[in-house]
Amino acid sequence: MGDRQLTRDAWNLSGTVLLYFLFSCALFAADSSPHVTLDANKANPRAVEPLTQRAILRDYKFAWGNIDSALASNSHVPLNGLFAGSANDWLKGVLDGQRQTGVTSRYLNQNHKLEAVFYAPAGDVIELHDTAEYDLEIHDGGKAIHSEHATVRYVVLMTPAADRWIIRQLQAVPQF
Amino acid sequence: MSWSINTACRLPSAHATLVSALLLGVAFGASAQESQLRVPSNAVAGQAASIATTGSGSATLYLNGPSISLKRDVQLGQDLDLTGKELLAAGRYIAVICAGSCSSAGFFVAPGKPASLTFVVHPSRAPVGVNDVISGVAFPFDQFHNLVLTRAPVQFQLTPKNSAPTSHNVQSRDGVAWFRTSSGKSAGPLQVSASLNDLSARRVVQQVASDPCNLRIKGQRTAKGILVETEPVRDCSGNPVPDGTIVTFTAKNGHDVSFVDAPVKQDVARATLLASGPVVVSAASGVASGNELRIGGKE
Repeated sequence: MGDRQLTRDAWNLSGTVLLYFLFSCALFAADSSPHVTLDANKANPRAVEPLTQRAILRDYKFAWGNIDSALASNSHVPLNGLFAGSANDWLKGVLDGQRQTGVTSRYLNQNHKLEAVFYAPAGDVIELHDTAEYDLEIHDGGKAIHSEHATVRYVVLMTPAADRWIIRQLQAVPQF
Repeated sequence: MSWSINTACRLPSAHATLVSALLLGVAFGASAQESQLRVPSNAVAGQAASIATTGSGSATLYLNGPSISLKRDVQLGQDLDLTGKELLAAGRYIAVICAGSCSSAGFFVAPGKPASLTFVVHPSRAPVGVNDVISGVAFPFDQFHNLVLTRAPVQFQLTPKNSAPTSHNVQSRDGVAWFRTSSGKSAGPLQVSASLNDLSARRVVQQVASDPCNLRIKGQRTAKGILVETEPVRDCSGNPVPDGTIVTFTAKNGHDVSFVDAPVKQDVARATLLASGPVVVSAASGVASGNELRIGGKE
C-alpha cells in the first residue's frame, strides 16, 4: 500500500515537473521574438508622439522577426508589406541568392536599441539608429558555416503606410 | 534560474549551436592564426574589391551581404575578386571560406558619392501668412540607393512668383537635411529646390489665399426677393479667396431667421433671399463676418 502511494506521489511529481517544463518552454517561445526598445528623446525637429512610438516599436519588432523567418525559410512571404524601396529590394536579393545556393541564415536572440534621431516636421519619415545584438548563424544545407554574436549598427528610415510603419532603408554602418 | 530553464528548453538546438560555435570558434582561431582571409578595408558600393586568401587547394567562398548571398568555388592562395555588381548595397558583409573547416571575416561597404536627392516637401498647398507651414526634407543617395551619411552642404532655395529667391544653406547630418519656413504674403506658386553639388530636385508649393477677411455686402429688393452680394472676397493680405469658398447670408426679421449658403464665384458670392417684410441681412465666411444691411418691406 505504502509503495503504491509512493509511486503515485512520484507520478504526480513527474507530472508537475513536466507541466512546469512545458509551461517554461511556452514562456521561452513567447519570449524568443526580438526585443526592441526605443529612445525618442533626441528626435528632432518634431517630437515623436507616444502612439507613434508604440507603433514604430511594434512594427520594427515585427519586421525583424519576419526577417529572421524569411531568411531561415528562404520565403518572401514574411516580408510582404513590411518593407519598401531599397530595404525590400535588398532583402529579396538576399533571399533569391540564398535560394539559389541552398544557404539559410538565422538572426537569433535579437536585442535592438533604437534611437530616433530625426522625425520630419510633417511626420512622414523617421530616421532611427539601431544598435542591434544578435546571434547570426549561416548554414549551407544542414552545415553551420558561420556563427557569431554580432553587434551591428543600422541606420533605418521608416515611413507611415495605411496601417503601419514600414522600413524603407536598413543600412548597416561601422559607427554612428 | 530562468537561464537554466531556457537552456533546458533549447537543449537540442542549444547543444547544436554550442557545439557548432565551439567547433567554428576553434576553426576561426586556427584560421586566424593561418590568416586565411583578408577582407577589403575601404570597400565602396559598386566598386570592385578583392579578398586575399592564404593556403592552397580548392575551397568554397560564401558572401553574405545586405542584398546578396553567393557561393562560389575558389582556389586558396589567390585574391578572390568581387565585382562592383556584387557589392552594390552599402552595409555589412560576411565572407566565409570553407575548405574542410570554415573561416570567416566581416567587412563594411560604404555608400558611394551622392547621385540623387530624394526631396519631400509639405504641404502641396499652403495658406499665405502662416508660420512654419512649409517644410522640406532632402536625403542624398548614391547611384545604388544607399543613403549617403557623410556630411554635405545642401542648399534650399525658395522662389515665390514675381519675387526674389531666398536660400537656406544646411549641412546634412545622418544623411538628412531639412528646412522649415513660413508661407509668403502673396498667393501663387512657390518653387522650392534642394541642391547638393550638381544635383538638384525641385518641387512646387501652391500658396493659396487664407481665410476671408473684412466681408462687405450690398443688396436690393427685386421682384423675386432680396438680391445680396459681397464685394470681392479677399484674405487679410488682399489675395482673392478661391472659388467655392462658402459665404453664409443671414436674414433676420424679428424672430424669423433664414440662412442661405452661396459659393464664391469669380471673387463674389451672391444669393437671393425670399423675404417680404423688412429684414436685417448679414454675411459670414470662416471667422469673418460682414456689415449688416437693413432692407425695408415690399410695398
